[in-house]
Amino acid sequence: MKLFVSGRPAWVSIGLTLAGTALFALLPLWLSPYGVRVGQLFVLAAGLAVAWTVLGGFSGYWSFGNAAFVGTGAFTAALLQLALPGWPAGSAFALALVVAMLFNGLLALAIAWPILRLRGIYFAIAMLGVSQVCFELVSNIDALRGALGVNLIDIVPKGVRPERFYYWALLLATLIVVLVAIMVRHSKLGYGLLAIREDEDTARMLGVPTTRYKMIAFVISAMLTAMMGVIYAHNLGYITANSVYRGDFNLNVIVYSLLGGMGTIIGPIVGAGIMTYVTQVLLGDLLDTHMFITGLLIAVLVLAAPNGLYGIYDNHRLRMRRRKQEAQR
Amino acid sequence: MKIDRRTILKTIGTAVAMPAIGRSAQAQATDTIVIGGSVPLSGRAAETGLNVNNGYLAAQKFINEELNGIEVDGKRYKIDIRLFDDASDPARASTLIQRHLDDGVQFFLGSFGSNIVLPTAAIVERAGKPMMQTGGASDQIYTQGYKNIFCMFPRASRQLYNTIEYFASLKPAPKSIMFAMANDAFSKTLAEGAIAFGKQKGLPINDIITLPENITDASSLVNQIRGKKPDVLLATTHDQNSLLIARQLISSNVDVPLLYLSLGPQLKSFRDALGNFANGLFFQQFWDERSPYKDAIFGSAQGFASYYGKHFKRDMAYHTASGAACIVAYVHAMKAANSLDPAKVREKLAALDVESLYGRIKFTPEGDGDPLHLGSTVGQVLKGNAEVVFPEASRTAAPTYPAPTWAQKRG
Repeated sequence: MKLFVSGRPAWVSIGLTLAGTALFALLPLWLSPYGVRVGQLFVLAAGLAVAWTVLGGFSGYWSFGNAAFVGTGAFTAALLQLALPGWPAGSAFALALVVAMLFNGLLALAIAWPILRLRGIYFAIAMLGVSQVCFELVSNIDALRGALGVNLIDIVPKGVRPERFYYWALLLATLIVVLVAIMVRHSKLGYGLLAIREDEDTARMLGVPTTRYKMIAFVISAMLTAMMGVIYAHNLGYITANSVYRGDFNLNVIVYSLLGGMGTIIGPIVGAGIMTYVTQVLLGDLLDTHMFITGLLIAVLVLAAPNGLYGIYDNHRLRMRRRKQEAQR
Repeated sequence: MKIDRRTILKTIGTAVAMPAIGRSAQAQATDTIVIGGSVPLSGRAAETGLNVNNGYLAAQKFINEELNGIEVDGKRYKIDIRLFDDASDPARASTLIQRHLDDGVQFFLGSFGSNIVLPTAAIVERAGKPMMQTGGASDQIYTQGYKNIFCMFPRASRQLYNTIEYFASLKPAPKSIMFAMANDAFSKTLAEGAIAFGKQKGLPINDIITLPENITDASSLVNQIRGKKPDVLLATTHDQNSLLIARQLISSNVDVPLLYLSLGPQLKSFRDALGNFANGLFFQQFWDERSPYKDAIFGSAQGFASYYGKHFKRDMAYHTASGAACIVAYVHAMKAANSLDPAKVREKLAALDVESLYGRIKFTPEGDGDPLHLGSTVGQVLKGNAEVVFPEASRTAAPTYPAPTWAQKRG
């Protein structure tokens, strides 16, 4: 696979991502524990949204069921740890993380063939079904312990505050997600996915291996989502199926992308930042009305900026360029 | 006034920055005891969360308005309960609890649902602050070694201890007990805990049957009962399944001297559906406002129920009463400690042994409710009403055992 073929060099995006991550990594040194926990929610949301973008944003195949991979990742790791009593925490976590990612990759591969033959709303609904089926299976099969719940091992090193540790762990995972997304976006695969988004039939006619590309993106998206799910579950310490197969995971990743800018990498991150601040900080005190105000805000923002905040920025840039050209004439 | 873009931006900027500025104030204001926490007022657990929330608020209202607060160390304090909606999301709940801790809150109330209570309990425990809760009964909360987390219920596996005590007290003693449990986590945990305790008590538990989570046909269970003729059948099933089992037993004319359906007969709709056949059925009863409990704050269980009925529109549920009892427990502990130091209050909570609107408040060393004092009581439908028949301290009517046969009820 040929990498970095876009007009805008990928290394610029990678450099900016690394610099941004370094800046974010320093924040817990100044923030209060509450601020760090809000930061955790933001970083988790951003990671999940960018992982979703690899398929949904780039190829236009909107999945309404990514919670399936959050939950299955979390439960794969938790159950593996149960099967490995006495293992050192670090090794048990690392092994569980790798196995959870691989298992989710295989799960995505297994369902990709029938699911990715569907398009548009049919694919979205089918993924919602997958998410619900996974939830029911984990809840109802005793051995999977979804109803009883599972404790995960404590991986926080001694002397490190848990909220800081998980903030950094989630930040690192999100960095990996963003770097993978940049690499995909700037590769032949990325261009293929964009072509699929614009017109899948024409793309196939022009020689883009659409089925293979969609499957690769689906598997990558599932593995990255599972990685976020495993760390999220460890942060909670105890999970039931209700904790990780959550409907709001399915919807929020789409809302973040719509808000920030669908199909971009920075868009979902900005969207996640805004929504986390609004829901956790700005409206956190409101007992009864916060859901209503959040919904209203999303509706207003989506109506006012149908292409997201990145779309507004893009339009502004275009306007400036036109003005400049007119002035030169 | 001209509203330009700059004005709009300034207004939005101020609104966005306000929460950060406003939060610098200390939560533990003078003459006020702040109790923080989160409850699910939206999301999956909202229905019960609203009940718990109302229980907390009813106790606060009564203490502040009717008693003018509480006296601790010679000073009067009002109770200030500050709750967030955690939207049934454990991550959001953890963040909000951390916010309260950062704001200096010293005492906490729990959310509803073990998957939310456990992560928040871990944070509160690490901070060394007490948490009273009525929404996390999973056994796993009480095996973590936590010292500051107290629950108004026993852990799930111990909730039927009173029922087993009742079976052990039956005269004539049952010769054969059958358990039928639905294949869901709560029903199984309940039944398995009861079976273990029953065997420890020497009860003749001869048959254990697992039923599907949702039963569409109870014929195989009915046939097993017809063949084995147990004296007691205890089914840990949800109301719809319980109704199906009862109906098929009635239509097959298969009698059990003591038919115990954990969930179902508590509900009026269930009793109405069975009519006279509901009489004599036993069930798990968590709380009854007619139980003769005395309470230092509300006077009695009935006193609480009538106060609640006057001031709140939402129907009373046992979670409402247990929520109010959390505040009652705090008040007792603070008065006993004569201090608002969370460590001292925690010590007194751990040692608490007082009667309250919800029953006798007493905790195990691990923090869950004492299974006999705070476990569910035994209920029986008598003359169409749900009565508490065991233990004696909670009794609203005397039990009928053996229960009348279906044929007698037909007549």
